Amino acid sequence: MQKKDMVAMILAGGQGSRLGALTNQMAKPAVPFGSRYRIIDFPLSNCTNSGIDTVGVLTQYQPLALNTYVSNGHPWDLDRNNGGAFILPPYQQIEGTDWYTNTANAIFQNLGFIQNFDPKYVLILSGDHVYKMDYNKMLNHHIKNEADVTIAVIEVPWDEASRFGIMNTDEDMKITEFQEKPAEPESNLASMGIYIFTWDVLKKSLRADARDKDSAHDFGKNIIPALLDAGSNLVAYTFDGYWKDVGTIFSLWEANMDLLDTPDEIDLRDASWRIYSRNPVKPAHYISESATIKNSCTTDGCRVMGHVEHSVLGHSVIVEEGAIVRDSVLLPGSIIRSGAVVDKAIIGLDSVVSRNVKIGHTADKKTEDCVYENEYCSHGISVVDNGVILKENAQIPENCMVEPLEGLSEEDDVIESTQLVW
Amino acid sequence: MRIDTCGLILADDKRINLGELMRPRALGAVPFGGRYRIIDFNLSNMVNSGITSIGVSTFNKYKSLMDHIGTGSAWDLDRKRQGLSILPPYISSDAYAGESDDLLGILNFFRARREQYMIITSSNVIMTTAYNDFVESHVESGADMSVMYNRDGINSGEPNLILDLDRRGHLREAYTNPAKPVSTRSSLGTVCIKRELFLDMISYAISRGIPEVSIEYLIREHKSINVRGYEYKGVALRINSVQEYFDATMRSLTEDVAEALYWTENPVYTKVKDEAPAFFGETSEVKGSMVSDGCYIAGEVSESMLFRGVQVGEGAKLDNCIIFQNTQIGEGCTLSHVIIDKNCTIRPGISLIGQPDYPVVIGKGATV
Repeated sequence: MQKKDMVAMILAGGQGSRLGALTNQMAKPAVPFGSRYRIIDFPLSNCTNSGIDTVGVLTQYQPLALNTYVSNGHPWDLDRNNGGAFILPPYQQIEGTDWYTNTANAIFQNLGFIQNFDPKYVLILSGDHVYKMDYNKMLNHHIKNEADVTIAVIEVPWDEASRFGIMNTDEDMKITEFQEKPAEPESNLASMGIYIFTWDVLKKSLRADARDKDSAHDFGKNIIPALLDAGSNLVAYTFDGYWKDVGTIFSLWEANMDLLDTPDEIDLRDASWRIYSRNPVKPAHYISESATIKNSCTTDGCRVMGHVEHSVLGHSVIVEEGAIVRDSVLLPGSIIRSGAVVDKAIIGLDSVVSRNVKIGHTADKKTEDCVYENEYCSHGISVVDNGVILKENAQIPENCMVEPLEGLSEEDDVIESTQLVW
Repeated sequence: MRIDTCGLILADDKRINLGELMRPRALGAVPFGGRYRIIDFNLSNMVNSGITSIGVSTFNKYKSLMDHIGTGSAWDLDRKRQGLSILPPYISSDAYAGESDDLLGILNFFRARREQYMIITSSNVIMTTAYNDFVESHVESGADMSVMYNRDGINSGEPNLILDLDRRGHLREAYTNPAKPVSTRSSLGTVCIKRELFLDMISYAISRGIPEVSIEYLIREHKSINVRGYEYKGVALRINSVQEYFDATMRSLTEDVAEALYWTENPVYTKVKDEAPAFFGETSEVKGSMVSDGCYIAGEVSESMLFRGVQVGEGAKLDNCIIFQNTQIGEGCTLSHVIIDKNCTIRPGISLIGQPDYPVVIGKGATV
C-alpha cells in the first residue's frame, strides 16, 4: 500500500445507550440526522474535505446499518485504489477472539491496519459528533508545536465544565493536566475526543497500555494521562465552531432544531465544505395544495400534504392531509397519517403514526400514567422507535419512549405491529 | 425474466426545438422534474429492464450530457462487463465524409455487442417503465420491429408520427404530422428490433448516403421489413416544444402522474449532487409544487417546479413556474407562467408574466 501522511480512524463501535430505542438496532453514528444525513457523514465528510483519503471505520455494536451505509465509501470520495474507506470490525485471531473492549483497545487491535500505510500521523475521531472541521489546520498546529499528541478542545460554559474531560494548559497551549469531570474545574477547555498522534507515540503508548491489566483501555482515562505522566509533549488545539455531541435524546433533537433556528452555525449550504451522504434515489419533494410548511426542512422523497411547522423531515417522509407536525424530527420513511398531531417528538425510521394519534402535549394522558415514560427522554420530547406502527387513536404524552415492551396490557400497548429496519 | 437486449438512446433530435432550453444542451440533457434530466428516464427504464449495455448517441453540445452521465455509475452502469458508452459524432481521421460518419460510432458499438435484440429510444418522451413486456411481446410476435405507441399523441404538437395499423397490429403506413390523422395511434419513439437487422439497415442507409438514424427512418422502412405496433397504456409525457415541456411539468405535479413517474417499483436514477436539504422559512407559503434539495424558500410558491438550489426571496410570488438549478428570485418578484434556466438572477421587484399557452423563457445565466 502507498505510504500516507495521515490516516484517520473513526470510532463508531459504541451503542449510544442514552438514545434508547433509536440505537436498539443500529450504532449511534448510523442514526439519521439533519434531514438527509446520518451522523457519521460529518466526520467522514470532514476527512474528505481535509484531503484525508484513508479512513478506518471501527464498528462493533449493531454494525449492519453502518456497514451497509459506509460500504465502499463512494459517496465521500473514499472509493479508491490507494487508501479509501475501510470498515474494521473486531476479528478472530489465532490467540482467540477479542471484542473491542474500549476506545484504546479498538485502535490497538488495528495497529496492523495502520502500519500498512506507515503514516507519520494518526487522527482519532469519534463517529458521533456533528461539526465541520478542517483537520489539516489541527495537523499544522501539531507539527508546528512538535507535539506527540494534539488534542482538540472547545470552550464550554464554566457552569457546565464539570460535565466534561477538562484540559488545563499553559500560555503556549501545552497541556499540563487532564481532569475527568472535575468538581472544581480550573479551565473551561473540554476535550472533543479528537486526537492527532505522531505514529510512533501512538504505537508505543497503545502497546504499553495493552500490557497493563488494570487499565480500562480508554483514551481519555488511560492513554492521555499516561502520556502526561511520562512528560510527553501534549498540546491543545482550540476549535472554534459549531460542535454537538448528539448522545442524548435532547441533544439529538436540539441539534436538529439548530438547523432551523441557527442555520448559519453549522451552515450546511456552504458549498466549500459539503457534507456528503449516500443518495436514497428518491424524487423531488412534493408539497401538495392542502399542505402548509413553514420553518422546516425536507429532502428527496418527502411528500407533505398536511401541516408541518418547525420540523426536520428525513427522506421519503409522508405527512398526510389533516396531520399536524410541530417541533419534531421525522426520520426517513416515517408516515404521519391524517388526524395525527405530533408535537416535539422524534419519530423513528419507517415508523407509522397512525390516524388520530396524539403525541406530546395534546395527548389526553399524563406522562406519569404512561407505561412508556422513559428517563432518557427529557424536555418534553417523546420518541417513537424505528419500525413501529402505532395503533390508531393512541395517546402518547411527553417524555415517553414508545418501543416494544413486555407484559403490557392491551389497553396500555400502543404498538399495532413492528417491522425490521435499517 | 431476463431479456437479451442492449440499448441505444438517441439523446438529441434535430426536429425538436425547445428554444432557449436547448441552446446550451442536447435534448436528453434538458432538466426535468426538479432533479432529473430527460435522459435519466431513458437510462433508468433500460437499467430497470436489466439492459446494461447501452450506447448514448449525440451530436453537438454534448458537454452537459457527458458531465451528467459520466461513467454511468449513478445508474450502476460503470462496469467491466457491458456498461454505458457515450457515442459522440465519430470522425474517422482526415476522411470525414460528412454526417454519415456520425453513424459509424453507433455501428461500431453495436457490432461489438452480443445481445440479440435492441431497444432504441429517442429522448423526447418522459415515462417510467420496464421494457420486459415490450421485448417479450416483440419476440413472440415474430415481427422484424415493434414500435411502442399510445393513443393520446395526436393532441401533442409536431413532430408526430401517426401509425396506421391493420387488424393484426401490423403497420400499413406511417404519417408525419398529418392534417387529417387516420388513427389516434402515435409513436412514442421507442422500438425493439433484432440487433443484426438494425446493423444491416444502418449499413444500407450509409451506403445510400443517408446521414441520419432516427426512429422515423426505421419505421419508414416498413415496406421492406415487418413492423408491428405495441400499445403502451401508462403515463407518457411528450416533449416536442417549449409549450409541451411546460405542460408536461405541470401535469407531473398532479398526484396520479407523479405517482406513475416517480413512485413505481422502477426508481429513476440520476447523478447525485450533495446539496443541503430544502429550507422553508417563516414567511414561506408553498402549495401544489415540487422543490429540491438546496432550495431556500422565503416567498410564495404555487403550482411550480423548483430545481436544486433555487432561492425564492421574501415577498416573491411564483405561480406556474419552472425554475432550474441555482437561480435566485429576489424579494418581491412576481413570476407567472415562466421557465427560467440555470444560474439566473431575477432582481428584487421584477415582474415576469407569461400565459398558460405562451410561457416566458429566460435563458441560462441571465440577469433580469
